[in-house]
Amino acid sequence: MQSSAEENSSTLKAVSQRVPLWRDVVVIKWVTQLGLLAVVVASLWFLAGQAGDNLQARNINTGFDFLERPPDIQLSEGIDTSPATGGRALWVGMVNTLRMAVVGIIFATFLGVVVGLARLSNNWLIKRLAGLWIETLRNVPLLVQMIFYFAVLTALPRVTLDSGPIHGWFHVSNKGISMPRVFISDGFYQWITVVAVGCIAAYFIRNQRGKKHDLTGEDTHAASWAFLTICTFAIIGIFVHPIFSFVGEIFAGLATLFENIPTTLVKILIASVLIFFASRWIRNFFASRRSATGHLSLIDDDIFRMVFVGTGALIAIIVVISWTGISSWILNSGRDLFQMLEAKFEVDGAARPFGAMKPDIVKPGKFANYGINGLTMSPGFAAVFFGVVFYTSAFVAEIIRGGILAVPKGQIEAGNAVGLSRSQSLRHIVLPQAIRIILPPMGNQYLNLTKNTSLAIAVGYSDIVQVGQTVYNQTGKSLPVMAIWMLFYLACSLTISVIVNYYNVRMKIVER
Amino acid sequence: MNSTNSTSQDLINSDSSTELANNELPPKVAALSPTEWLKANLFSNTFNSILTVLSTAAILLIIRGLLSFIFNPLRQWSATATNMRLLMTQAYPEHQYVRVWVSLGFLLFLTGISLAFWRAGRRVQLSQVGKRLLILGAFIVLATLLAPFSNRATIIWLIVGILIVGIGLLLKPSHEDKTISSLTLLSGAFLLAILSLWVIPYGHHSYLSTRTPKILAESGTVAMTTKLPWTIMFLVAVCSYFLGSFVREKIDEAKSKALLSVTWLISPLFLLFLVLRDPDFDTRHLFSTDVPIFLFFSIVGSVLLLWLTKPDVGEKGRVISAAILFIGFATFLFQMLMIVRILTLVLAFFALAAPTFSGQKPARIRYTKVWIASMVILCWLITAINTPSTAKVPGDFFIGGFAITLMIFFFTMVLAFPLGVLLALARTSKFPIFRMISTTFIEFIRGVPLITILIFFSVMVPLFLPDGMDLTEIAAVTIAFIIFEAAYLAENVRGGLQSVTQGQHEAAEAVGMTNAQKTVFIVLPQALRVAIPPMVGQIIATFKETGLLAIIGIFDFLYIARSVIPGQTQFMGSTRENLLFVSLVYLVICFSMSKASQRVEKRVGLGER
Repeated sequence: MQSSAEENSSTLKAVSQRVPLWRDVVVIKWVTQLGLLAVVVASLWFLAGQAGDNLQARNINTGFDFLERPPDIQLSEGIDTSPATGGRALWVGMVNTLRMAVVGIIFATFLGVVVGLARLSNNWLIKRLAGLWIETLRNVPLLVQMIFYFAVLTALPRVTLDSGPIHGWFHVSNKGISMPRVFISDGFYQWITVVAVGCIAAYFIRNQRGKKHDLTGEDTHAASWAFLTICTFAIIGIFVHPIFSFVGEIFAGLATLFENIPTTLVKILIASVLIFFASRWIRNFFASRRSATGHLSLIDDDIFRMVFVGTGALIAIIVVISWTGISSWILNSGRDLFQMLEAKFEVDGAARPFGAMKPDIVKPGKFANYGINGLTMSPGFAAVFFGVVFYTSAFVAEIIRGGILAVPKGQIEAGNAVGLSRSQSLRHIVLPQAIRIILPPMGNQYLNLTKNTSLAIAVGYSDIVQVGQTVYNQTGKSLPVMAIWMLFYLACSLTISVIVNYYNVRMKIVER
Repeated sequence: MNSTNSTSQDLINSDSSTELANNELPPKVAALSPTEWLKANLFSNTFNSILTVLSTAAILLIIRGLLSFIFNPLRQWSATATNMRLLMTQAYPEHQYVRVWVSLGFLLFLTGISLAFWRAGRRVQLSQVGKRLLILGAFIVLATLLAPFSNRATIIWLIVGILIVGIGLLLKPSHEDKTISSLTLLSGAFLLAILSLWVIPYGHHSYLSTRTPKILAESGTVAMTTKLPWTIMFLVAVCSYFLGSFVREKIDEAKSKALLSVTWLISPLFLLFLVLRDPDFDTRHLFSTDVPIFLFFSIVGSVLLLWLTKPDVGEKGRVISAAILFIGFATFLFQMLMIVRILTLVLAFFALAAPTFSGQKPARIRYTKVWIASMVILCWLITAINTPSTAKVPGDFFIGGFAITLMIFFFTMVLAFPLGVLLALARTSKFPIFRMISTTFIEFIRGVPLITILIFFSVMVPLFLPDGMDLTEIAAVTIAFIIFEAAYLAENVRGGLQSVTQGQHEAAEAVGMTNAQKTVFIVLPQALRVAIPPMVGQIIATFKETGLLAIIGIFDFLYIARSVIPGQTQFMGSTRENLLFVSLVYLVICFSMSKASQRVEKRVGLGER
């Protein structure tokens, strides 16, 4: 008893003797950090100032006004080959990049799964072939591959009027690869509304069948039923889709609504959303730092985090409130979106949802080329496409193989033991476990693929980097163009990682 | 997101190690007879049989197509062969070529000695070699029958194929105990290749560079001009291997291994100067400025560091180190030689790190030695960079091609690695602002494609530099590569750091280590070991990414193959041939790197502990 009291008094003494400032761990820690921050900020400041001086000395203006000005650019392909403004040109480049990324991701996944499964096949020849495919394609740089495909494609026989009319479905020449085009026609949006209704119906049917399965245990084929429902709706929709033309009115109403909302309301809305999320984060943070007995202990790091989140939210709110442009931009784009949708529904009742055409060859000027009837991959597109698809497929195949091999053999044997067939144990036992291992690296590969499309610049496909380079070569606005590039790619990366993370969380094993 | 990324990379790279995980020898399986093997592996059921037939047809078609592409009389393989020198070193002057050979010879000498010291190579069973040769010969015969050769060529190739098959058949039945070192096999293959240089005239011209590239139809081909140097190189490599295995028994192996590693790291810097410069040293300036600065810093620094590494220095040492750091930053405010600023900052860094390495006398002396060594290297480098070269050549940078690819790759790896480790440490530290800066940097760099960063650096760097400072495009691009790779390496290292268990941290704290000591001596060694496989993957990726230099117009390997050679009037339209050669070079290097890394992984026993 006495000793504890003595101890108590000595701790008290130690506490009352304040540690000198230069020996206080927290002080040292923060002084070091602030010192480093100061050095970083100072050097950035210095570099930025230097850049500003140099730009002024060279009479280079760094504004974004080139986005509004008409450029003198002809793009090789895209939604608009002779864009009216610099901003439009960059937009076309972005669409081209995204188009390549989406198509590439779909095909690379498909091909990669096939190759990965072939690598696991018990057929010796197939296994070796798949191994050869993987080792060759992933060890040759993507850029070399792309340029090689481009060189091969452009060395193909020339396209002339003599080589047409095309009788087959495919035509390959130095102008690219042309194939039949399936295009969406005027009635498409009404038809897709029918399909959407079908999806809702399918959801309910699936739920109902699933419940029945749970109750009775009999095989109710819930997924097949849902699929059949959607198909039925899609087929019926081809004939009855004009009844949905009234949807256009709804969009018109929404457009007028967006036109009439005051910007202040949007500002308040965004600010309150920000406040809501920030406060929810801080509340959860407090909850996580509270012990079971309700004792709250915060270290300097925790306080920093809260201050960081709070300041971030505050800055965002101030920016939103003081910069009216953001709110009116949101309103305008909402209005434009709904007006566009409204226009999509204002069609003749007899319009078809989609159609198809075979490729053709025309001679608009001096040289023959493919007409717009067929779906033509230009050599540039084809080179980038085959490049990213083949290259990524090798990595995807390795991921698939690794994921499936990582499922212990005992799992399959256990499945066999309880009487599941091979396909059933694959479907219900191996795949659900493999997918958890496969998904994160797949997300990584998708990110890589998206970033790799930027190599299109080497073969002249008009992606955002290539268009951006043309723009800044003409206008000299290299800094703004590069800022746009980086923001665009950061946005892409962020989107993909958010999607993959969402699936990761959903697929995670629920643990205690 | 990040944790998943790092695990994913682990996974990609470690799937090979899972195969090796069970170390026990499998039970001996009775060898199947050929018909049984065929039945089991190719025709086990109907589906498999169909697959086999289809893929055999596909393989035959592909081989046939490839061969008729390669041996088509329209192919201009002489474009590649003739321009070999251009592909390797671009416009490097021919009369200076001996420097390149000397550098290469030194590197091969190091390789030979290292192979001997690390006891590289494994024993290969002769019967296995026979089997491989058999397959190779059979493939050659098959390919010859498929290829559109002339009668004479068909007969020659058939004879070659049958010869190889014969050797294979001869070796195949040899006993299991008869083995041969893989190094012997490798050097045998090289010997054959070099001997062929003496016989077969690859390429018909030699390339000479002037300002306007042109082909001179000289007597003597590329093969003829390089046959002697290559033979010498081969002899150097073989002799140094034997020298190494002779010496390694006589001296302290651990020490010489460390010395070798350091030589490997440093020698490229010196060799680069050997290749690029014939420095015209200004002796007066050298002895009036450079040498005194070097002496001052090494002597004062040594005394200071010897004192600072005493275990009982305590706070005074820290205050002095901080003061030096402050002075180092303050030097930027005054007119001063750049070398003084740099050396002061380096000294401050060493002083701040001194308590971590404090200890008894040997430890203190070792630390001082490291300081003096780094002074020597730094001073030499700065002096050499600032000295004009007497070797005058056309163009501003007179080495290109594969040499520049290798050079940028080397500098990227050497400099990106420490930066990556620092970023990873900052990202996992308890210091929130460090964490914030490093996370922002890493995520930003990882979110944008490399080509945008390269273009940014090659276009924008002149804008960000103060007056009077100048960076060549090569240097700017190398910096871009470094920061890009550092961000990726940082993520790999972070994965390793996270794998170090909490118990290790606590144990280090329990024996009274400071934070820095804990990081340097306990955490990092374990973390880096775990991070080896993903880092090797990243290194291979970096090597492949060097091809991007071609896009920004640097005369690298790919650019020359794609744009320069097809631009020569003789060789218009030879892009595909050159690109196939480039692909082959990249394929061989990357493939052997990944195979070697798998072997290293096995050797350090990763995935077992």
